[in-house]
Amino acid sequence: MAALDKINLSIEQGKFISLLGPSGCGKSTLLRIIGGLVEADSGMVTIGNKTPREAQKSKSFAFVPQSPALFPWRTILQNMYLPHEVNKEAKEHDEHRLDPLHMLKAVGLESVAQHYPGELSGGMQQRVGIARAFSTGAPILLMDEPFSALDEINRENMRYQLLDIWEKHQKTVIFVTHSIREAVLLSDEVVVMSPGKIEQSLQIDLPRPRLDTIEDSKQFQDYVNSIRQIFRKQQ
Amino acid sequence: MSMQQAKTSGLHSHPIKDKGSFRQSFTQSSFWTALISFITVLVVWEVIVRLFHVRPIILPAPSAIFIEFFTHSSFFLPHAWVTLYEAMLGFLLGMIVAIGLGILLSHSAMLEKFLLPLAVLANVTPIMAIAPLFILWFGFGSLPKILIAAIITFFPMLVNSIAGFRSINENHYEYMQSLFASKKEVFLKLRVPNSLPYLFSAAKTCVSLSVMGAVVGEWTGSTAGLGNVILMASNYMQMNRMFAAIFVLAFMGVSLTQIVRLIELKVLSWHTSIYMHKNR
Repeated sequence: MAALDKINLSIEQGKFISLLGPSGCGKSTLLRIIGGLVEADSGMVTIGNKTPREAQKSKSFAFVPQSPALFPWRTILQNMYLPHEVNKEAKEHDEHRLDPLHMLKAVGLESVAQHYPGELSGGMQQRVGIARAFSTGAPILLMDEPFSALDEINRENMRYQLLDIWEKHQKTVIFVTHSIREAVLLSDEVVVMSPGKIEQSLQIDLPRPRLDTIEDSKQFQDYVNSIRQIFRKQQ
Repeated sequence: MSMQQAKTSGLHSHPIKDKGSFRQSFTQSSFWTALISFITVLVVWEVIVRLFHVRPIILPAPSAIFIEFFTHSSFFLPHAWVTLYEAMLGFLLGMIVAIGLGILLSHSAMLEKFLLPLAVLANVTPIMAIAPLFILWFGFGSLPKILIAAIITFFPMLVNSIAGFRSINENHYEYMQSLFASKKEVFLKLRVPNSLPYLFSAAKTCVSLSVMGAVVGEWTGSTAGLGNVILMASNYMQMNRMFAAIFVLAFMGVSLTQIVRLIELKVLSWHTSIYMHKNR
């Protein structure tokens, strides 16, 4: 049985795209196929004019997994520099790199630069993961439910912090989530998935920068409701 | 590993945990309680020997043992040095071979299937049974003792190094893949640091085992070393001398383990098990 079938999706550069769907619908797998971490049995993915593996080789991706992949034996700053130390032959995107310490400052964590990940809360660790993704210079950020392990209060904060950084740097983000509100709040486009396939792709034309008042707006609620309808129809 | 890092501090709070002073106080307090318990045992021992007039040929008083050691320290210390030297060379040899083989085996499941059973066989064969063979092969010098100490050290180090190199966090591995990291980079930046807690935990056990290996070798056939001293003293019923040698060996074992622990504290300062004690 195919985990994913009839997937047809094109993503514009510099956009924030969410892959939204219930657990087990293949959204993480799709993200990994795009990122060259999983090989698709058939079909084609191109990033610019590269295959996912080629794009990976040229360090076009910055990956933010569900649990922040911070090495416990490296300080926060050393973790920020890890992408710089690995696969040094790929220099294509080096000029877009941002100073890791500066990025830590941007997420309010410069004071823990010399600490180890084990000393930070889950939310702080995930902020490091995001700061690191933006500092690598990679044009495409792959985020696999980065906030799902956090409590609701932390999640809310993190969403706005991510919006804030993204609006400053405008990289392509592919963001996997199972939260409808999260997807609407963050994205330019929400790709609604049901197990194995794409149901619908929805443009979100909410004004930017998006501030926390936007969640109260009727427009926001309408988007959330229309996505809910899509999921309801399937059941 | 990442799961245990979940802490409760708020989004903007800064973690201020003075690990340094805490660690120091932990090791210091455990040192003092250990010392107090040793002293208690020695005092009770001394009292019993004096109170019940236990004959020195059965059990000498601790005071007599200490006097024996300090009046004849020029006799004990060269022997202690021989044992220490054999144990340490054996420990280093066993460790280096085990880690080297561990690197190899962690790369190939096929090799592991072939070689691990041999290592297991070497491990289950009583070292006492092999010792006389080594003496026959390599004579009465230090070499057979070094080899016995190395064999004892080898197996726990091998098993733990394989586990350490292999048991990397899936997330960490995937992250390295997303950067197109080479096998070598994954090994050096992920597998090696990941294996260190495993290696230190084995080293703490093995360092005292290596002393045992050296002593076993000395019993089997030797002209020097504390094992030799104990054997000779037992032949001549020199109880003070025997106990003094045992004390020196015990002290050696404790000191070596502590040295490895201190190095571990220094090298693995990031490791959660080291500052987890705080939450006990």
